[in-house]
Amino acid sequence: MIDAVTLLTIVLMAGVTYLTRIGGYVVLRNRTLGARATAVMEAAPGCVLISVIAPAFVSKSPADLLALAVTLAAATRFSMLPTVLIGVASAGLLRHFIG
Amino acid sequence: MSISQAVETVADGSKSEFRRGVASCAPVLFGTIPYALVLGAQATQKGLSTVELSAMTGLNFAGGSEFAAIQLWTSPPHIVLIVAITFLVNSRHLLMGAALAPFLRDLPRRKVFPALFLMCDESWALGLADAKLRAAAGITPAFSPRYYMGAALAMYLTWVAFTTLGALLGPMLGHVETYGFDMAFPAVFLVLMRGMWTGMAAARPWLVSLVVAALVYLFVPGAWYVAAGAMSGLVAAWLMAGDA
Repeated sequence: MIDAVTLLTIVLMAGVTYLTRIGGYVVLRNRTLGARATAVMEAAPGCVLISVIAPAFVSKSPADLLALAVTLAAATRFSMLPTVLIGVASAGLLRHFIG
Repeated sequence: MSISQAVETVADGSKSEFRRGVASCAPVLFGTIPYALVLGAQATQKGLSTVELSAMTGLNFAGGSEFAAIQLWTSPPHIVLIVAITFLVNSRHLLMGAALAPFLRDLPRRKVFPALFLMCDESWALGLADAKLRAAAGITPAFSPRYYMGAALAMYLTWVAFTTLGALLGPMLGHVETYGFDMAFPAVFLVLMRGMWTGMAAARPWLVSLVVAALVYLFVPGAWYVAAGAMSGLVAAWLMAGDA
């Protein structure tokens, strides 16, 4: 059921992942940040989020790009659930009809 | 329910913080389930048993790195390669934890360390966005641990349960992209970013991140684009702060 090398790989994966989760907190917990560092920390969440979804902005599929534009427009007006529904529906429909 | 409505609800005290966290995570779970099923199905095709796959998603709990690991999986697995790629894909957690750290100052470490085990893109973004809205509304403490745990545990249980289900169902599943479910992730992230929006000037580093991440994604193989995009945005924020 469980192979020893597979288990070792999984445990090491989990270990480095947990280190990344606590690392930022441990290093910065008791520090007061200067103006520049504060500006960086305020920009950080948006920078990470937009980087994760950046591939969607350079998709080679016209249907995907159009669906992303619809989703972006929805995100500026609606709350979470309507935006997700509009995004999923537009992607599904546009891919079906445009390809 | 939008986050701002949720903040009003909790001000009434009519709904528990934990339930509010679970509720705000619901749209995200909707987008996560198809991915979880696909990861589980792919893992069995690479020769992992269901127990091994459940152990991976339950102990590691970081979807991006698990997709990368499964892509690279051989029998026996190349340990150094997979662990290095896992670190690379998850290095963004360092920035995320740093951004969350100021809101966690008043919490004891015995609560913070288990809570951080459950920090994923979604629970972090929801918890941080909620804390910023509550801070702006004058609610103290800004960070709500129960709200965060509601969102994080809902995410964790959904991920482990549906990756396991995917492994059990195996190759009967097709491609999620056909149905458009993958657009749920950009949708969630864009709404979260709107919540963080404080004006065009403050958003300039985001634009730098978007352009660099997109270019690296197009021209550099592998998962470097997240780290490259995030880091260049932070450098831009650092430089732009000097202009002010």
